Amino acid sequence: MLTIPREDMSTFDRNFNPFAPAVNPMVNQAIYEPLLVFNPAKGDTTPWLATEWKTAADGKSITFTLRDGVKWSDGKPLVADDVAYTFELQKKLKGGYEYLVGATAEGTNKVTFTFNKPWSPALYEVGQLPILPKHIWSAIADPAKYPNATPVGTGPYTEVDSFQAQSYALKKNPNYWQPEKQKIAGIKMLAMSGNDAANLASVNGDVDWSTQFIPNIEKTFISKDKEHRHYWFPPTGAMINWQLNTTKAPFNDPKVRKALSMAVDRDQVTKIGMSGYAQPADCTGLSGNYEKWKNPAVKDNCSWTKLNVDEANKVLDEAGYPKGADGKRTLKDGTPFEFKISVGASSSDWLSVANVISQNLQAVGVTAKVDSPDWASVVAGYEQGTFDSGIVWSANDPSPFKYLNNAMGSATVKPVGTKTFDNYHRFGDPKADALLQDFVAAGDEAKQKDVAYKLQEEYNDAAPLVPLFSGPEWGDYTDVHFTGWPSQDNPYATLSDRSPTTVLILTTLEPRK
Amino acid sequence: MRFILRRLGFYLIAFWASITLNFLLPRFMPGDPVSRMFARTQGKMQPEQIDALRKLLGVDDRPIWEQYIDYLHNIVTGNMGISISRFPAPVTEVIAAQIGWTLLLGGTALVIAAVAGNLLGILAAWRRGGAIDSALPPVLIFIGSFPYFWLAMGALYLFGVVLGWSPLRHAFTDGVEPGFTWEFLSDVGAHLVLPALTIVLVSIGGWMLGMRNTMIATNSEDYITMAGAKGLRPGRIMFRYAARNAMLPSVTSFGMGLGFVVGGAMLTEVVFAYPGVGYQLLNAVQGLDYPLMQGLFLTITAAVLLANFLVDILYVRLDPRVRSN
Repeated sequence: MLTIPREDMSTFDRNFNPFAPAVNPMVNQAIYEPLLVFNPAKGDTTPWLATEWKTAADGKSITFTLRDGVKWSDGKPLVADDVAYTFELQKKLKGGYEYLVGATAEGTNKVTFTFNKPWSPALYEVGQLPILPKHIWSAIADPAKYPNATPVGTGPYTEVDSFQAQSYALKKNPNYWQPEKQKIAGIKMLAMSGNDAANLASVNGDVDWSTQFIPNIEKTFISKDKEHRHYWFPPTGAMINWQLNTTKAPFNDPKVRKALSMAVDRDQVTKIGMSGYAQPADCTGLSGNYEKWKNPAVKDNCSWTKLNVDEANKVLDEAGYPKGADGKRTLKDGTPFEFKISVGASSSDWLSVANVISQNLQAVGVTAKVDSPDWASVVAGYEQGTFDSGIVWSANDPSPFKYLNNAMGSATVKPVGTKTFDNYHRFGDPKADALLQDFVAAGDEAKQKDVAYKLQEEYNDAAPLVPLFSGPEWGDYTDVHFTGWPSQDNPYATLSDRSPTTVLILTTLEPRK
Repeated sequence: MRFILRRLGFYLIAFWASITLNFLLPRFMPGDPVSRMFARTQGKMQPEQIDALRKLLGVDDRPIWEQYIDYLHNIVTGNMGISISRFPAPVTEVIAAQIGWTLLLGGTALVIAAVAGNLLGILAAWRRGGAIDSALPPVLIFIGSFPYFWLAMGALYLFGVVLGWSPLRHAFTDGVEPGFTWEFLSDVGAHLVLPALTIVLVSIGGWMLGMRNTMIATNSEDYITMAGAKGLRPGRIMFRYAARNAMLPSVTSFGMGLGFVVGGAMLTEVVFAYPGVGYQLLNAVQGLDYPLMQGLFLTITAAVLLANFLVDILYVRLDPRVRSN
């Protein structure tokens, strides 16, 4: 049994409904499978339930061809109707996919998604949604509230076994389409209330694989068994930004944003705040998840994401924010250059990031106070646009569209006081808008890349927000029981146990002989 | 009887006041559950999905008095709604599935701590300045003033990891079939020892000192001297005359403690990964899961009030003065 702790669930409910907001572990990894799997660690895509796909010439539809011989765990075959039905259900229950007009089955093995406009990011969005069996779900009166206690899926491990509030196991799908890859007997999930209990299990060698944060991992975890224990934190998580509310002065001035950014010592931020596990950002603003999209010209000639206190001082002087006799700067109206950095009190890592920034800014005469109430009230400030600045995560998709759109697309900007769920800093750039349009209309990836390069140049000019570091995706394991783990040298997946690439790991691992 | 009816009336009003607070307090907290959930997924959810989710979870924008009437109606009918953080599990199911473990852990620890603490307090006061009286209180207060989290982690590390005497997590070994079998019950017992012991360790000092102090006051009463002069056995004087009268404050504390057991020992559950409602409550508060919060608070309120009511009745038996006025 592959044993995995779940540090954020103190107990499990027998609820394997993929629409549940707090979905049980492994439902979308081991039970239900998507059409394709995108692997951010390598930037490649593995065909999964679909063997191939084709985008129409006008960019307004994609046709997927399903794999032959795939069966649901109850023995019924996977058909195109299942895929079409899944999207119908998804749109009805959870919304989203506003560009999607519909999904139509053509025969049993082809399904076409049509859009109301050319929309190139769709490939990964529709491609990565886990597919459900129509013959089961269409018979359910209220699918949103259906506990789905005995799930039927196409995944490698679908059979729920020995279910308890504190643990459960998933056993082999008897009808899996690649039985030669079901080498582990099953997956056992353990409920843990918090990182400490999960860390204890990892350190003690009670679990095979875990993804919760372990402080000082070399010493606390690896050193106990150097031969078998390993970790890998690829920088493929979301970009973590210092987001400045651009509706407020002086943050509406790009020079100020760049100067503040130059005053931040990102090496210190990642070393002290993130225990050295994260990678400092560059001027493309893109995290390690988008390595292949990065514009080398922007990345290599980067200025404003590198520490340069003299330059920061100079820019602020020239922009009209003078330093007083006491070494503190004032705004143009003569009030002190002071503001808050809001971070939720429970995120100790980001709190120390904010503290480092606050200290760094003293060197340029700017006072930033760290404000740390509960996350709920911090987020309420972000959503209403009443905050000064905050440490904020960003969207993390296979294509960089959503990240760039949220960073500087006018369409995502709402007036202060109106709730928004993206673009908290409320920045829109007309020049970027045109490029973002080009991006979604681009027919192939080469063209998308071309536009993405230009978008990064614009990002570099406008500095819509202050990128800090690429969030790492935690992952550590012991190969005492199982071998075949992904690693820096063999990045066939990230080491995450809750992302789309997890299924690649589940179908690669094998018991140690 | 009149006394009991009067108390009952008081408790009903207290109950109404507290359920109203339970209703209002979460709604005064900033933010709303759906955007909270959205923020927690940190970019894994699409903003367009928020409206659908709000509808699904039944987070409504109705006027607050309408929600309040619904809420009162639900309480009366025992329908607590559906948990938001553990959607679509009904609140009653979430609580029912876990409260047993909470009661077992908290109840065991409370009974042991209260009984042992009071006995030690009685003995310490009886032999004032003796070995128990001079050595134990400082030691127990010392241990009790450790941060509980730290103490529990230390105990788990020492007895669980280093010595291997205690299991490291959960209420029973995964794979053991629950049921009234010797195997299961002994397994549950083994998992219970260390978490319960850590709670006993930090709380026993309070019980002992409280009892000791009232006992000392009682011991100097004339009727104790009189009993001694009559030639009664010291054991009889100690328990029947002194301890019985000194026990009233402890009975009150026990009643309160019994009520609060229902709230769960959150830190214990976190350290020992023990299933129970304490950590669930923290999660519900952080996730603004109104229905679950209300359900748990209601259970706690009801338990505290019920326990206190029982203590009131017990008082009538223990203390004749209550009856006479």
